[in-house]
Amino acid sequence: MAETHSLHDLQQPTVSSKVFVQRDYGSGTISKFQTKFPSELESRIDKQQFEETIQTLNNLYAEAEKLGGKSYLEGCLACLTAYTIFLCMETHYEKVLKKIARYIKDQNEKIYAPRGLLLTDPIERGLRVVEITIFEERSIGSGR
Amino acid sequence: MMKNCEYQQIDPRALSVSPLSAQSHAEKTVQRCRRKWEVFPGKNRFFCDGRIILASQSGVLPLTLGLIVVTCGLFFAFDCPFLVKHLTVFIPVIGGTLFVFVVFSLLRTSFTDPGILPRATPDEAADIEKQIDTSGSSTYRPPPRTKEILINQQVVKLKYCFTCKMFRPPRTSHCSLCDNCVERFDHHCPWVGNCVGKRNYRFFYSFIISLSFLTSFIFGCVITHITLRSQEGKSLVQSIQESPARYPYYTSIHIIC
Repeated sequence: MAETHSLHDLQQPTVSSKVFVQRDYGSGTISKFQTKFPSELESRIDKQQFEETIQTLNNLYAEAEKLGGKSYLEGCLACLTAYTIFLCMETHYEKVLKKIARYIKDQNEKIYAPRGLLLTDPIERGLRVVEITIFEERSIGSGR
Repeated sequence: MMKNCEYQQIDPRALSVSPLSAQSHAEKTVQRCRRKWEVFPGKNRFFCDGRIILASQSGVLPLTLGLIVVTCGLFFAFDCPFLVKHLTVFIPVIGGTLFVFVVFSLLRTSFTDPGILPRATPDEAADIEKQIDTSGSSTYRPPPRTKEILINQQVVKLKYCFTCKMFRPPRTSHCSLCDNCVERFDHHCPWVGNCVGKRNYRFFYSFIISLSFLTSFIFGCVITHITLRSQEGKSLVQSIQESPARYPYYTSIHIIC
């Protein structure tokens, strides 16, 4: 069997299945995802690692939705300027969402991609699910 | 969210290879990444490269804008000169500020995404159907309409949306005019030409409040104008006849409020 693979083949990992981590509404309607470890991922990733990722995501969403002095001030200022100030500056929520996007990208690069998994940013799905794509295991040089 | 130009459809083929190197590779057929608004399944219309979103029918938004602009125009043209002379120069200043507030809030409400939930991907829809179809029956059975969850120890029923193929989160409703599920859906406002939901509620509310202030302000100024004119020795009827017959506009604005 040919031992060299064309770049074309390496670019197209096959999707084996997808796992959906649902929202956890136990503590109210805040954005929080279930930390229960899905059985489909048992062979792929450490339970601890997965739970840590989801917990960090939950903490980041809690930080985004936190109501404090800063968010009240932002709201009042926006109200007084007929919300035109949002054309110039980002809201605290948007800033944290960007932080979350960077975190997910980072996690994908470091932890999930080497194991053949891909986390989709929940905002792409309307903050309803965390979609985890499981790719088929392909090892280089394996006979076909 | 529509403002962010980086959004593209997630392509699993881009997993280990950056899009740039993929495009430069001759073998792979290059597919221009299509923007989400270009493939949006709902009935909304998009302008300015996806920055502006409108419902399929703009409803009476032009009428709303027209009424506001015409009323304020008449106010500035006829009442302001008189009142500036007799009262204070701040009358047009306040009027102008309120007018700007109203128009900005209205446009922001109309052109902002109300909190549309993206439809479930085919994989997710299949997953949901698989989860409820545990009996293994061969005949196709549509997914159950409700799912019960516990929110703060209270049982809440989540309804299934057949169009969007997902269980709607709490306080989410499907707008039939726009064909989308909208978070914290309030209503579809024809005056504004868009749904009012979670993400544009603050703009809608500020529109309503500022419009109330504007109409009350104009109404007060008009009454003052007529009173002052009649005090100058002319009768009330003559005063009204002197100013153009613009009261239908004011009453209609009050009705809208």
